[in-house]
Amino acid sequence: MDALLHFLPQVWFVILALFLFLYVMLDGFDLGVGILSLTSSDEERRSILMTSLGNIWDANETWLVLMGGALFGAFPLAYGTILSALYIPIFMMIFGLIFRAVAFEFREHSDRKLLWNFAFGAGSFIAALGQGFALGAVIEGIAVDAAGHFIGSIWDWLDWRSLLVALTLIQGYVLIGSTYLILKTEGELQKNHFRTAKLAAITTVTGAILITIVTPIVYEAARTRLLSPPLVYIFAVIPVLGVVLVGLLLRSLNQEEEVTPLIWTILIFLLTFIGLGLIVFPYIIPTQITIYQAAAAPSALVFMLTFIGVLIPIMLFYNIYN
Amino acid sequence: MDILSNTVALSRMQFALTAIFHMLWPVLTTGMSIYLVIVEGMWLKTRNPDYYRHARFWSKLFVLNFGIGVASGLPMEFQFGTNWAPFSEAVGDFFGSILGFEGAMAFMLEAGFLGIMLFGWGRVHPAIHYLATIMVAFGANLSTFWILVANSWLQSPTGGEMVNGKFVVSDYFQAIANPFMVKSVSHMFFATLETSLFVIGGISAWYILNNRHQEFFARSLKIVLAAAVAVTPLQIYIGHLSAEQVAHYQPTKLAAMEAKWETSPAGQPADWSLLAIPDEAAQRNSWEITIPNGLGYILEFKKNLSEPVPGLKEWAPSDRPRMVGLIYYSFRIMSGIGFFLAGLMLWSLLQWLLGNLSAEKIAQQKWLLRTWIFAAPLGYIAVESGWIVRCVGRQPWAMYGEIRTADAASHLPAGEVLTSLTLFTVVYSILFVSTLYFGSRIIRHGPNLELPIPGLDGQPAVDTEPATFVPDQRPVEAQQ
Repeated sequence: MDALLHFLPQVWFVILALFLFLYVMLDGFDLGVGILSLTSSDEERRSILMTSLGNIWDANETWLVLMGGALFGAFPLAYGTILSALYIPIFMMIFGLIFRAVAFEFREHSDRKLLWNFAFGAGSFIAALGQGFALGAVIEGIAVDAAGHFIGSIWDWLDWRSLLVALTLIQGYVLIGSTYLILKTEGELQKNHFRTAKLAAITTVTGAILITIVTPIVYEAARTRLLSPPLVYIFAVIPVLGVVLVGLLLRSLNQEEEVTPLIWTILIFLLTFIGLGLIVFPYIIPTQITIYQAAAAPSALVFMLTFIGVLIPIMLFYNIYN
Repeated sequence: MDILSNTVALSRMQFALTAIFHMLWPVLTTGMSIYLVIVEGMWLKTRNPDYYRHARFWSKLFVLNFGIGVASGLPMEFQFGTNWAPFSEAVGDFFGSILGFEGAMAFMLEAGFLGIMLFGWGRVHPAIHYLATIMVAFGANLSTFWILVANSWLQSPTGGEMVNGKFVVSDYFQAIANPFMVKSVSHMFFATLETSLFVIGGISAWYILNNRHQEFFARSLKIVLAAAVAVTPLQIYIGHLSAEQVAHYQPTKLAAMEAKWETSPAGQPADWSLLAIPDEAAQRNSWEITIPNGLGYILEFKKNLSEPVPGLKEWAPSDRPRMVGLIYYSFRIMSGIGFFLAGLMLWSLLQWLLGNLSAEKIAQQKWLLRTWIFAAPLGYIAVESGWIVRCVGRQPWAMYGEIRTADAASHLPAGEVLTSLTLFTVVYSILFVSTLYFGSRIIRHGPNLELPIPGLDGQPAVDTEPATFVPDQRPVEAQQ
């Protein structure tokens, strides 16, 4: 029974990480393309960028809805505490996503494409910024009392470290967006995206290195965990793998390969995710509330698992099929 | 002002505002998805090109509303965490799970079948396309189902109990099948359908009245009318059953719906208030028109009440809903619209039976058509009023009898909530106006009656990519 009490929250932690990863990868394309569209002065080019996402953005966004529901059901305490602590970044994200979505819908029927193209780009940027601040704040930790209720201030999430995370995430989205567009476009447009991908790869990696250095220095709890076995071995491997993958990515971009940049980018994100997951685990509100403290009753976790668990393979199959 | 520094009031206003706006879009798409199933089915059965073009035309309005519905729905889910953190923690085990199911199933619908339904014409086999259309309708209504399960459970919580401020669920299926569930789900199912029917009917009437594609739109008007013959009276009946369950489980809400301050004892008749000006400070109605002995007939179809009907004064002011006038009039607006639409249905049905709705004569029915145009937005107003009754009438409870709304809100600085509330007001107003603007553009542009028919002209309707075209395999006679 005790094993079950630990096992179920762990299962849900992994499922949530999976949802988050899929969301970041899939909507990362859309958001990255949106942010890129802001840098384009050419209306025709921007229209091509938007059209390439026309009928996939809403499916990608659904992973966010699903992740929200799963977090709500599996870790109700964390859902309330994290979201109310991150009130401003969460609503930045929501308003950004609303702008992005309506830009797609209304642009199709409108004569003034310029306005909606801008809403698409600006919405994507604001949404990514909000997500980055939220991620940064969660890694930093949220001020809670013994019961896990938020006791900090509404601006706690804003400091130079969460700004660093936010800027890095935006660069990461631009990287995914660029490698996606390399796959989807050709000719002059594609050449352009090899350039943006290279630029984004360098800025993303710089940000990631800074975060990797800063996190153990600033956060004692993270340092202790990172530097004691067995995690220390894993964390020794991750940077090495990271360097190898970044090298492969830059090489594929230099050789103007079409498919491989996207694959390396996905693997870099996966590696980052595993690293982050290991830093955070077993906390859901680092470093105060563990997944075991925040979890719903075991019966609730089983109940959700039977319904959503059955759907996960189907949803994964559909995404791969697409 | 006091309210501007009250976080609970501001969070409530924000939830109400986002819910009222958000609902406008899925109400139409959920009901219209069923209409799309009907016309596509009729196309497959009769192979009459008009039905195909109806499916294509209305799906333009469908997809416009669908996208905005997805976007405007995001804050609904996240607000439970941001603005109602203590509530989320207390009810997450069940309520959160249900929202998770809704998300997962909405995904199945959106990712899986909407693309095929919108872009699959001529590219996939007609049977597969029809399956996609059915699955979109099924998914949309499944979403309604889960949302109504979650809300009904807050109205009549079952399947567990509160332990140390957290609802511990002992039986999930009992919680799903809570007392409110069946009637609430049915009431909302028919509400979305009825709203969409009268939107489609109203737009069709507008075309006919303006001498545009009269035969084409006489067809949709008749489909809508045929459906309304069943839907409008059924909805009134389910509404009556819903009021009965409110009387049984939420007497404070019923008292507010009727602006009833004094208790009426059992075994006697009681007056029914038709119109009133409730005065909350004085705990009475300062002006009133009543129908003598009406209450018994309305609740039980007989003169004498078999059970006492308690008035608001039975409860302390802190234990009963406020804004009695809002609840009282919202209920009357909703019911009034229900009867009005049923009356319009009867009038139209009579003209149909008299043969006045044929393609040649329908344009002469000017007042009937004008009434249909007038009725187009009424369904929305009824749905919104109904939800105001349901949720304002539930107060002061977030979860009826268990969690007070005042205890459910996050402890946020009022300024933050005021800021997000203001932003939502601006953004959702823009969404609303834009949808009306672009929707009316689609309508003014009208249907494309030149659209090639897949399976008849031997060419796919969408020719952007090479497609595996499957010709109609049936004998020629059946294709006509």
